[in-house]
Amino acid sequence: MEQYVETIIRDKMDKINSRGNVYEVGRVISVTDYILEVSGLIQVGFNEKVLIGGHSTGYVSMIRRNSILVSVLKSEKSIFIGDEVVATGEPFRASFSPSSISHVVDIFGTDRMCDETFDDCMELEVENETIPIMDRRAVCRPLETGIAGIDLIYPIGKGQRQLIIGDKKTGKTQIGLDAIVNQKGKDVICIYVPVGKIKKNVKAVYQELLRRGAMDYTIILAAFNDDLPPALFLTPYVAASVAEYYMMQGKDVLMVIDDLKRHANVHREISLLSGKVPGRDAYPPDIFYVHSRLLERGCQHKCGGSITILPIVETKGGDITGYISTNIISITDGQLVLSKKNFDKGEKPAIHYGLSVSRLGGAVQTPEVKKLGASVRRELLSYLDTREVYELANVDEMAPEMKKKLFRGADIIRGLKQSKYAGRTPEQIIRTFTGIMKGQEEV
Amino acid sequence: MKIGKIIAVSEVGVEILTDGAEVRYRDMLYTELNGKKYRFEVQAVEGSIVNAISFERCEGLRRGLEIYKEERGLSIEYSDQMLGKVFNPYGDTIDGTVVEDPHVRSVYSEPLTMSQIDIDGGILWTGIKVLDFFAPMQKGFKMGLLGGAGVGKTVLIKELINNVYKGMRSNSVFIGVGERSREGKELYDEMLEADLLDKMGMVFGQMGENSVSRAHAAQAGLTLAEYLRDEKHQDVLLFIDNIYRFIQATSEISAMMNKMPIENGYPATIESDVSEIEERINSTGDGSITSFQAIYIPADDITDEAVQTILEHLDGQVVLSRKVAEKGLYPAIDVFQTTSSMVDAEKIGQRHYELVEETIRYLNRYNELEEIIAVLGIEELSYEDRMIFFRSRKLRNYFTQPMFVAENFTGVPGEYVKIEDVLDDVEAILTGKCDEMPEDAFYMVGSMKGKR
Repeated sequence: MEQYVETIIRDKMDKINSRGNVYEVGRVISVTDYILEVSGLIQVGFNEKVLIGGHSTGYVSMIRRNSILVSVLKSEKSIFIGDEVVATGEPFRASFSPSSISHVVDIFGTDRMCDETFDDCMELEVENETIPIMDRRAVCRPLETGIAGIDLIYPIGKGQRQLIIGDKKTGKTQIGLDAIVNQKGKDVICIYVPVGKIKKNVKAVYQELLRRGAMDYTIILAAFNDDLPPALFLTPYVAASVAEYYMMQGKDVLMVIDDLKRHANVHREISLLSGKVPGRDAYPPDIFYVHSRLLERGCQHKCGGSITILPIVETKGGDITGYISTNIISITDGQLVLSKKNFDKGEKPAIHYGLSVSRLGGAVQTPEVKKLGASVRRELLSYLDTREVYELANVDEMAPEMKKKLFRGADIIRGLKQSKYAGRTPEQIIRTFTGIMKGQEEV
Repeated sequence: MKIGKIIAVSEVGVEILTDGAEVRYRDMLYTELNGKKYRFEVQAVEGSIVNAISFERCEGLRRGLEIYKEERGLSIEYSDQMLGKVFNPYGDTIDGTVVEDPHVRSVYSEPLTMSQIDIDGGILWTGIKVLDFFAPMQKGFKMGLLGGAGVGKTVLIKELINNVYKGMRSNSVFIGVGERSREGKELYDEMLEADLLDKMGMVFGQMGENSVSRAHAAQAGLTLAEYLRDEKHQDVLLFIDNIYRFIQATSEISAMMNKMPIENGYPATIESDVSEIEERINSTGDGSITSFQAIYIPADDITDEAVQTILEHLDGQVVLSRKVAEKGLYPAIDVFQTTSSMVDAEKIGQRHYELVEETIRYLNRYNELEEIIAVLGIEELSYEDRMIFFRSRKLRNYFTQPMFVAENFTGVPGEYVKIEDVLDDVEAILTGKCDEMPEDAFYMVGSMKGKR
């Protein structure tokens, strides 16, 4: 008996020493949805691209002592235990074609409208090194969205990261689209990044933009709901790399990510499946870094180009104090809060002026807009503050100043209403609101 | 010296099988791949298996790469020239400058003993009326700085640097931990513009950097502050923005090392991690370190484990409020929440203490009256309430102050106000000696001495 065991061990040792059971190709030994455990592939590098069974693509997401974990990005057929996994010797890179503009593409360089791959694809790093602090410049040029409530009251600058947050059906995506459409003729490249959206909706967005001539300067870099989660997870990073590609050529880029809450959930799903330790709300503890390193790529670069990012986050019941929401609020340079209540009242865009913030504020406005914006904002906020208290009171019994204030406030609210795709120029905005501010002084 | 090979790789670190070489906690290791150097720091040793975290991204690392040990652990090079320079968490300058003939100091220091720590620092007057009055500081104090961006945090920080430098000839250190890179650059630019850059050393490990960088930024910055304290015998002013991010980064690392977490994913070692940092921020016979530490509150939850753990170490808090800022009252400090452990009759004297109490009482009543007046009008108030109302408005205006560092924008020259003058002025307002003066006379002025 003793000898028998010894023989087996000796045989195994001989095999190991002669590397008899070690392959430069590995074998799939377990499959959990889209996370594979693979044996072999001793020399594979972290983040390296691998091919599975000749039909699927993935990348190495963890190297363990005796096995590796592979996240599958794209899979044509089912993967079985024992399938061959081949290392490619290079990290996973996204494919991007400069002729993607005016198309719906994914991170593999495929045109999703006709499912053909572009011929002039180049390889793009999923994540470049963070842009060094000293290469950044102050954000000071306005990015006009054409929405008075934004351009006048909570402005966005080129290189700013401004969060759009609100419940379902409050017009979050619409603000992003309005901003894109308003860039027409302004020499800004726009990237709309739907993360885990349904195809129907993305197609609708595509047609809206096409009809308004906005696709001429827009790329839709999409990951649909039925794409594999690892691909979904990487899509915003790739979009940022594309944005950096244009920024380094000195261009201004506007990127709308729709939405980051879904992105956080995808990251949670992948982490839990890979057996990582969960933290608050079962999100992995690096969830902050996942978003911070993405959004930090928005900046005004010293080369003159800039990346403006408008991430979207969906909330439930109007609560913006959730974990993911506050994390992202603490990363961005401000937030536009959309309220269901305003939306139902017909005050569209349904911006909640009390909770919204722009941390750059007047620094990104022209002096004229800045001066007007400051006084309109002050007036509006004090109106909203008192409106709730006096909504039920009899107007006739009020002091005249109070009455004036209420009427003026109502005028401002009316002036801020605007329907979708009805972008206003700064001159129009200035004219309307100078009128409102003057009008009330005569009352 | 070669010590072993990589046997496993994760997002933040590697596992190494050693050949029996001696490896200690926090030793520095490195490997080379395609001409690029990857650095690691030892976190745990288990038999001949070493767990190490990586300073760079792990992309491309693979099993079998040879690992070498550096002569010394993570350390920072510095000299007198550190002021005006910007460092990364690993002690390298990132503004293109070079530190000439540097000394080298490990970023980890031995804890101070009880006998070394000096708690009897003199009172530190900042010359900012509202701070000196409501939250007086002592050399070596730790102040929490709460408040969102855009309420004048940077201006306050700059004014403090300016005034404390003038008063004590002491320099400052700014540590940016896990905050926006844009703000870091703007602070640098503003310092340069305000001619204050050469009084300050900066260390940045911002939110775009990996967790290891963010966790180390605090250590590196403290090393610079300790150098000024121990070797230059200065009273140092230290700003940490934001100390919460340090814990956040440590919990990311600890989870990646598969350590068992406590609630909300914080590491079980949270108390000792915070203590290790906070206990370094102390005064000794050589000099003092006075610190302002911004604290982020996650999910608006003040009872958060990390926030509570940090607060335990602080001596007071300064709260900046957006509501106050909107009224144009700068510095926008919420006086009801701003306090320090110095507000004690034995420490600041009976007179100062009573004036603080009386002022708070007035301002509190003022807030109540504001609502009543909005409905009834001022004529309906009793004589006493009316006096409280008018005097409180004067007090409110009086606690605004023109800042030296904002002179370019406001056009009003800054003023340093002595505490004796503040006490005299406040007393005069409260006792009605200024009732005849219009309230605008108190807005954005320094001391009222000679004007009353």
